[in-house]
Amino acid sequence: MKKNIAVQVDDLTVAYNYKPVLWDIDLEIPEGVLMAIVGPNGAGKSTLIKSILGILKPIAGSVSIFGKSYEKQRHLVAYVPQKGSVDWDFPTTALDVVTMGTYGSLGWIKRPGQKEKKESLEALEKVGMLAFKNRQISQLSGGQQQRIFLARALVQNASIYFMDEPFQGVDATTEIAIINILKELRKAGKTVVVVHHDLQTVPEYFDWVTFLNVKKIATGPVKDIFNDDNLTKTYGINYKVSIQE
Amino acid sequence: MMSNAQIEIQLIASLVAIACAIPGTFLVLRKMAMISDAISHSILPGIVVGFFITQDLNSPLLILLAALTGIITVVLVEYIQKTGLVKEDTAIGLVFPILFSIGVIMIAKNANDVHLDIDAVLLGELAFTPFDRFIVSGVDVGPKSLWVIGVILLITIALLVAFFKELKVSTFDAGLAASLGFSPAVIHYGLMTVSSITTVGAFDAVGAILVVALMISPAATAYLLTNNLKRMLVLAICFGVFSAISGYWLAHFLDASIAGSITTMLGLLFLAVYLFAPSKGVIAVIYREKQQRTEVSLLTFLLHLKNHTEERERHVNHLNEHINWQKVRSKTVLDLALKNNMIQFEKNIVSLTEKGDAFTSKAIDYIITNEDAQIEDMKDDFFLFRG
Repeated sequence: MKKNIAVQVDDLTVAYNYKPVLWDIDLEIPEGVLMAIVGPNGAGKSTLIKSILGILKPIAGSVSIFGKSYEKQRHLVAYVPQKGSVDWDFPTTALDVVTMGTYGSLGWIKRPGQKEKKESLEALEKVGMLAFKNRQISQLSGGQQQRIFLARALVQNASIYFMDEPFQGVDATTEIAIINILKELRKAGKTVVVVHHDLQTVPEYFDWVTFLNVKKIATGPVKDIFNDDNLTKTYGINYKVSIQE
Repeated sequence: MMSNAQIEIQLIASLVAIACAIPGTFLVLRKMAMISDAISHSILPGIVVGFFITQDLNSPLLILLAALTGIITVVLVEYIQKTGLVKEDTAIGLVFPILFSIGVIMIAKNANDVHLDIDAVLLGELAFTPFDRFIVSGVDVGPKSLWVIGVILLITIALLVAFFKELKVSTFDAGLAASLGFSPAVIHYGLMTVSSITTVGAFDAVGAILVVALMISPAATAYLLTNNLKRMLVLAICFGVFSAISGYWLAHFLDASIAGSITTMLGLLFLAVYLFAPSKGVIAVIYREKQQRTEVSLLTFLLHLKNHTEERERHVNHLNEHINWQKVRSKTVLDLALKNNMIQFEKNIVSLTEKGDAFTSKAIDYIITNEDAQIEDMKDDFFLFRG
């Protein structure tokens, strides 16, 4: 059975100050996979996600989401940025941050109402954070903050989820809670793309993987391409990981 | 009895304070306080050129021209910063003095024709605002400044109400805002435009320095008192208005500059809140740190009792030498432990109660696993775990 293509990236090149950080990327992400993007620091992993989401403007190439431009498919996509990219001292509560996930479907000017509040509370419950709904966000632990971000993405009720290092700086309990939710999303037919650092957990957590280091090294099912050869090509050193059979 | 002029001055000062506090709150949260300083100075050439053309400081054309100079400042700062050669604060420091100087030279060269001087530019002339009246078909409807700032304030409030959600999300998380389709650039330049127009509108009345104070100080003060954006806006507005009115009366009794007195009140208000704010204030922080030190000591003491079954280690007279603390501290810790029913005495031998034992185990678990959930019920009793 041939799967639909959720995300198609063609000849994408992105540069900061004329220095390419992503070079001529072609990538197809099939619908319904739980995919890790791996690569060394500075490989352009976050840049790839941001370019797909239109946050960064590429100097060449194009991106389509289910065959159409991102601008037309915005409502199908949810995004979890790196936790460190926001100021957690911002004067707001956990519930309010989650409610921001509903802003996209509201559009300009319209305010969130009872329906949006109810959805946000449900999302908080799903990530086990309902008890903290009125907590100021700076008073949450790193793992709790990450769960709030995840709840904010869940409330968008998207088809494709992009997450930038959701496991960074979280405790083991939160990591398990997050991966279980990601697996549930995949079961529900959603596509999930995660920038990931811990190579050891790739085979356990993901079924699809993309190796990236400025250029795309390889992409495909974990069981076929997650091997020492591709790891060495990506990380530049002789890499050995033991993969549990 | 207050004269009409007095009431009008206070009204103008209060409206300026409100109009400044609204964009100011978002500037503070976006860590862009210095941009308001840059805008307030660099609009000067815009005001001078506008004045050559219109001969009227309150003309809408002048306000738009000057606001445009404000936007140009922001664009220039961002352009210089983007080259990566200098940092943002340096870029700001490069751009606004140059634009301001151009304005100063323009005034000096045309001093004979233009009723505009540097003192007024820096400090404004709130006291004179009631003399420039707005006359509509022969009827005096109030000072022109009142109308100018009133209209600007109404527009600002309308924009705030309409785009509150967009301002909030793009200030908190620009990446999310962009992915949701709320262009952070549009919101950024919208905020810069409002800030520029407000600055120009307030400039005539309060001058370049007080405009900055009225934008930043009330918002910074409010930030120390609340964890809610709407409340922060309301508090900033209240602080601005309070300083405007109390500053006016301070000037009245001291026979001093109104603008200077208002700025002084803003500074005093910030100082008071900075010291006495309930959770973020300096005194609260010092108190909390002292509490935390005591509680760490308490925990150390409880651990000592838990680890040592030997009676000599737990004799009340030898506690000091074993834990190696000063008397005062030992007494504080003992009292705290007793008050919370965590220890008991039996013939001068100290031991843990059931509660103390459970508390200690939990605390150790927390320190080892660092899992917050285990100590939720302890948080109310102890500062130590409030992170």
